[in-house]
Amino acid sequence: MSLKPKTNRRNFLKTTGMGIMGFPLILNGFSGVAPSDKIRVAHIGTGNMGGSHIRWFSAFPDAETVALCDVDELRLANARKLLVANNSSANPELYSDFRRIIERKDIDVITCATPDHWHALVAIMAFESGKDVYGEKPLSFTAKEGKVMLQSLKKHDRIFQLGTQIHAGDNYHRVAEIIQSGALGKIHTVRLWKTGGTSGLGFPPNETPPATLDWDMWLGPAPYAEYTPVKCHGTYRSFFDYSGGVFADFWCHIADIMYMSLHPKGLSSIDARGDIPNDGIADTPKWIDVDFKFKDLDVYWTTTPPDVPGADKMGIGAHFEGEKGTLTCDYDKRIISIGGETTHDLSEVAQSIPRSPGHQRNFLDAVKSRIQPESNLEYAREMTLPMHLALISFRLKRKLQWDSHKEEFINDPAANFLLSREYRSPWSLPVY
Amino acid sequence: MKRVSIFFAFLLISLAGFSQNTDRFTSLFNGKDLSGWMMPGKVPGFEVLDGVLVAAPHNGSELYTETQYGNFIFKFEYLLSEVGNSGVLIRCNPENPWGTGVEVQLLAPWTPYRDDLHCTGSIYGHVAVSNRPDETTGIWHTMEIKCNRKNITVSVDGKITTVADVDTVKSMQGKNMAGAIGFQSNHSKEGEFAKFRNVSVLNLDDDPDYVKKGFYSADADIRKQAGEAAVLKGASIIETLAQMLSENNPKAQAGAKQALFDIAARKSAVNISKDEKKAVEKAFKKSVKNSSSEISKNYLNWLLEMLSAD
Repeated sequence: MSLKPKTNRRNFLKTTGMGIMGFPLILNGFSGVAPSDKIRVAHIGTGNMGGSHIRWFSAFPDAETVALCDVDELRLANARKLLVANNSSANPELYSDFRRIIERKDIDVITCATPDHWHALVAIMAFESGKDVYGEKPLSFTAKEGKVMLQSLKKHDRIFQLGTQIHAGDNYHRVAEIIQSGALGKIHTVRLWKTGGTSGLGFPPNETPPATLDWDMWLGPAPYAEYTPVKCHGTYRSFFDYSGGVFADFWCHIADIMYMSLHPKGLSSIDARGDIPNDGIADTPKWIDVDFKFKDLDVYWTTTPPDVPGADKMGIGAHFEGEKGTLTCDYDKRIISIGGETTHDLSEVAQSIPRSPGHQRNFLDAVKSRIQPESNLEYAREMTLPMHLALISFRLKRKLQWDSHKEEFINDPAANFLLSREYRSPWSLPVY
Repeated sequence: MKRVSIFFAFLLISLAGFSQNTDRFTSLFNGKDLSGWMMPGKVPGFEVLDGVLVAAPHNGSELYTETQYGNFIFKFEYLLSEVGNSGVLIRCNPENPWGTGVEVQLLAPWTPYRDDLHCTGSIYGHVAVSNRPDETTGIWHTMEIKCNRKNITVSVDGKITTVADVDTVKSMQGKNMAGAIGFQSNHSKEGEFAKFRNVSVLNLDDDPDYVKKGFYSADADIRKQAGEAAVLKGASIIETLAQMLSENNPKAQAGAKQALFDIAARKSAVNISKDEKKAVEKAFKKSVKNSSSEISKNYLNWLLEMLSAD
């Protein structure tokens, strides 16, 4: 059975109004998809998350991975092996420079699992070349990059899904339903946490980069730096030049449930406290606590779980406090407490939010339907913004006031300066 | 010839000035009022009488320096009444002085007799005196307290009484490595007193080279202390830190990178005076000029941009 023309599929989705819920039906029709109808995928960045991308996208009969890219030859070779292990007929082209993938007209989709400081530029260059993007979290390295990504996506009419795969699970959808039902009353406070932080990494000497690694390309738009292995694969998030530590690693996953449920607006102040490790070259938070003031909502991030029942057993979590009750959850569990009674679900709250067919499936469906997926760029940008602002408050060691309409700090030029970072030549962030 | 002799004259003057500086203490008490000090408590515990600092009111406020000191030599003269009881708080946060810092005891030896862990010169309750000082009341004694990173030395009347390596004192773990210096108010009964005069300090952290050495320490606490001292110094240590950035030493590079950021961050706040900011900007500009490494130049320029953003 061959696929119907794209326009028909898109019309079908729109006219039936089934959206995501309709996809299980369509999926049945995908067995034996003609090669010419397959979505042609390239994976850029093939480390830990890149490996997951390879496995995930190999499982879809309507997607074909045609290219892999990594600045590390050894990783690239392993990625090829992993792909072939998942799909024996795969025969990907291998690249060390992602621009060769961007140039290819026959590639529909790229996934991006590079270090954070590359996320925005890879996505923007993909958009400009007419490709859709499944991009890892956090969305971008700076707040400004998020803005430019969104402008680029709109200009080029592209599809983007942020790689917050927890979003697709039933628990997040159910939590959002319960919160939105009003069963807990008006929510006035949210507490988010993630235990653990950056460790110092010691004081390793600088080294010549291995011949198998294009260190200059790995650095890309980041300032040039001498090489030492801990700055690179696996632990690069320990450095503010490339990321923002455990906080930046996990903010998008757990702030997601708050945005999905409440979509808070009107952020007005950000006050971060914390410390960096003192036993090594790492410079991102060992711990960080942040107080955010939104319109009608107080949000607290902590590195230790809040003092609420059940939180101490969750390494990461969210706690919603409403006028009538509370809800504490992590990726796959939830505890609801109303009037001293504890439960895991509220039968009176009907299912109202369509479930995801899976985060990557949701993306591929969006590529076909041209309807943005659940963790689309507009949503992801809003959700990621407080993370950037909190890290600026942490670094400057002061409370910051935010104008959420102008999207700039009030009366703090240095804080505004840190909303962006000039790229190292020859890289540049487009101006739209 | 005349020029040469003028040059030598200048050289001599500056050398003399330098040698004077190295052991020159700054007076912390002007004999008239308590400027440079603060009494956070409700009831004043100190007053100035005839050029002498007197702690007489019972259970009044402690007295603290407004300046923070990490490494220093603090010296003063004291006189205790018959059963006088006071002390010197070091490296403390006035909001929780005994929790964050320690007290060097000043105590009359009579009624009741106190042991070596609680007598004058002891680090009260933490480190006993090894050499008990003259505790005669009613006469002036001198005390000198030296905090040199993790070593604390107390001398009374020119003789060392107490030597402590903070690391070997279990009860001192987690104490601050910098903070205010304070005098305890009259801790004896009503009518007793302690008097102080010739109060002065030599701040070891005033010397950029002293602070710099801290960055290379194998001890994380000392490196952290050096970082904090550098941030307090601001403009005057930027050049030193900028040179460390280019050193082939990961401790120097990482420590300097962070301290430079923290200086720029602190001075970028809108409540910092223009002059203060300008001095820091000037130091950054100079360090960019003097830097031989492109990586360092870029970083310093970036900090300068952050600092000068408007």
